[in-house]
Amino acid sequence: MATRDFELGLNSFGEVASDGGRTLSDAETVRLIVEEARLAESVGLDAFSVGEHYREGHNDSATPVLLAAIATATDRIQLGTSVTVLSTNDPVRLYQEFSTVDAISNGRAQVVLGRASATESFPLFGYDLTDYERLFEEKLELFMRLQREDSVTWSGTVRAPLVEQRLHPRMRPGGIPTWIGVGGSPDSVVRAARYGLPLMMAVIGGRPQRFAGHVELYHRALEQFGHPAQPVGQHSLGLVAETDEEAIETWWPYWQPLVAQLARERGFYKPTRERYEAELDQGALFVGSPDTVARKIATVARDLRLSRFDLKYDILHLPRDARARTIELLGREVAPRVRELLAKEPIHV
Amino acid sequence: MSDLVFGLDTFGDVPEDDSGAPVSYAAAIRQVVDEAILADEIGVDVLALGEHHRPEFSVSTPETVLAGIATRTSRIRLSSGVTVLSSDDPVRVFQRFATLDALSHGRAEVILGRGSFTESFPLFGYDLSDYEVLFEEKIELFARLLEEKPVTWSGTVRAPLENADVFPKTESGRLTTWVGVGGSPQSVVRTARFGLPLMLAIIGGAPERFAPYIELYRRAAEELGTIAHPVGMHSPGFIADTDEEAREVFWPRYRVMRDRIGALRGWPAIRREEYDREIESGSLYIGSPETVARKIARAVAALGVGRFDLIYTAGTQPISARLRAVELYGTKVIPMVRDILAG
Repeated sequence: MATRDFELGLNSFGEVASDGGRTLSDAETVRLIVEEARLAESVGLDAFSVGEHYREGHNDSATPVLLAAIATATDRIQLGTSVTVLSTNDPVRLYQEFSTVDAISNGRAQVVLGRASATESFPLFGYDLTDYERLFEEKLELFMRLQREDSVTWSGTVRAPLVEQRLHPRMRPGGIPTWIGVGGSPDSVVRAARYGLPLMMAVIGGRPQRFAGHVELYHRALEQFGHPAQPVGQHSLGLVAETDEEAIETWWPYWQPLVAQLARERGFYKPTRERYEAELDQGALFVGSPDTVARKIATVARDLRLSRFDLKYDILHLPRDARARTIELLGREVAPRVRELLAKEPIHV
Repeated sequence: MSDLVFGLDTFGDVPEDDSGAPVSYAAAIRQVVDEAILADEIGVDVLALGEHHRPEFSVSTPETVLAGIATRTSRIRLSSGVTVLSSDDPVRVFQRFATLDALSHGRAEVILGRGSFTESFPLFGYDLSDYEVLFEEKIELFARLLEEKPVTWSGTVRAPLENADVFPKTESGRLTTWVGVGGSPQSVVRTARFGLPLMLAIIGGAPERFAPYIELYRRAAEELGTIAHPVGMHSPGFIADTDEEAREVFWPRYRVMRDRIGALRGWPAIRREEYDREIESGSLYIGSPETVARKIARAVAALGVGRFDLIYTAGTQPISARLRAVELYGTKVIPMVRDILAG
């Protein structure tokens, strides 16, 4: 792959920011995200993606609405999701919403479909967590058919049947770029390959290189299913500042409580300082100076044969200045440095 | 009368380009965004988009298009017209409009309705025989969500909620919410019961025949001890430089659309005399700015409404003619109506 094709993006989970010690309101945060997407475009980043969450402090519950607003505030940057919780959404509405975003953005919409690591959406929308697998499988099949076929007749167990249904507004022929987001399940990797869809891996703890087996499995499965090669991307958390020390000390007080909460809710590891340093050094945190972060991204890009890396830059209550600086440095310094490093030693897929 | 609110309303009809060919759906959506930007610049108060699931219309998800408009405009209020609540989820509707409200610095409005078309029922797996219970339960849940506090709710039309807190919260603490009504007295009373403002869809016949509904709304609000807000009306029309041009651009395309929908509802084909009669004394606001302004002023005065929304598309009216209609509405019709009513 040509190194100029390597794409760098940003992910937001709609997390409330602070400003001079004051916590922003939900509405202020929503508008901040639009500003940040505009900044991302102005510093040359390739993609801006928004998640879908249903908990306090997160303002990304209506992802397509946010993306549509960003669409008219920008001209060039690709607009995606990180991730869209397909299991608890209706593929018909999703088609309509993303077709609309694609129209408004002149063809810049993408979607990453996932099963979500947070589970709030299941009780909120009346789904049973025990149907997790079936919901995703059936809805993926329907969503892809809606995108690839003109008129769809479908029946299944997770929504009402459709008879020769043609949806509006029509999407561009073949649909929008659709990725599958995976956390670590080999079944999900094989499913992405079965549909011939690109793979986005959420690597939020531990050494990214442990995903090498998944990448291997994905490429092998794509071949076996007879699909052409597809891009693989990685999403991880991080912050860029002028120096390593500044980045590390800025991130720590926001990262520690987040992981402590995830440890309580989902059995994550305990966020000790020792663990923090291990994550910075060898693990999944992309926190540091532009040079440190660029080296780290280039290394995983090579080791995992990535063609895209998305940095999740927002974390609850992080000052808006620190968020803006991450975006600026990622676009102006990290991205060119990553491309330079990859040009010296190209990735072979 | 200076606080009379003027809106424009569209379902995102797919228009013709200059060669007479229909544009793509994507271009139709971008056309709505362009018209909204123009409307904002020339002082139209509200832009409302309807939710439809039919091939003539490009807008199936109004709030997504409105969000695109939000970042390109600064003053105009952004409304649905209507959101088909019966076949949607009140929680999602709240989330989408609260996000729009944030994006637009508090300019979002939702008009909840049952929909005059029925396509959304089979599309989203609802049974038309549940029409009444779907709307009743969902509006009750939506009214609870409007309080922006954790909600515990159970009913028959969606999964129960237990202490569910929904985000984002609005800055004002309350999302502006109307109820759109076509002609059912029961819907009028329900709107009063929830203390919500009423938007009347008056799409045929003399507007005066809706006076009893407005009276009913006021009386019901008084009896129920809720607030009777200013009532709004929305009606179709079209504006061009002359009466003749407006009538002739609108007619052939309106006729196709009207007969296609009429066929589904068992209406006979529309005749030109009916069209002309609706323009003279009914609910088509078609003509030069003077003609349309006089007609709007008459209806507004007769009904005592506080808001008038003109549905400015009905069929494939060409892009250039649509833009001109929007321009004339903002720059000529609105000031003329204000002058007439002040006079």
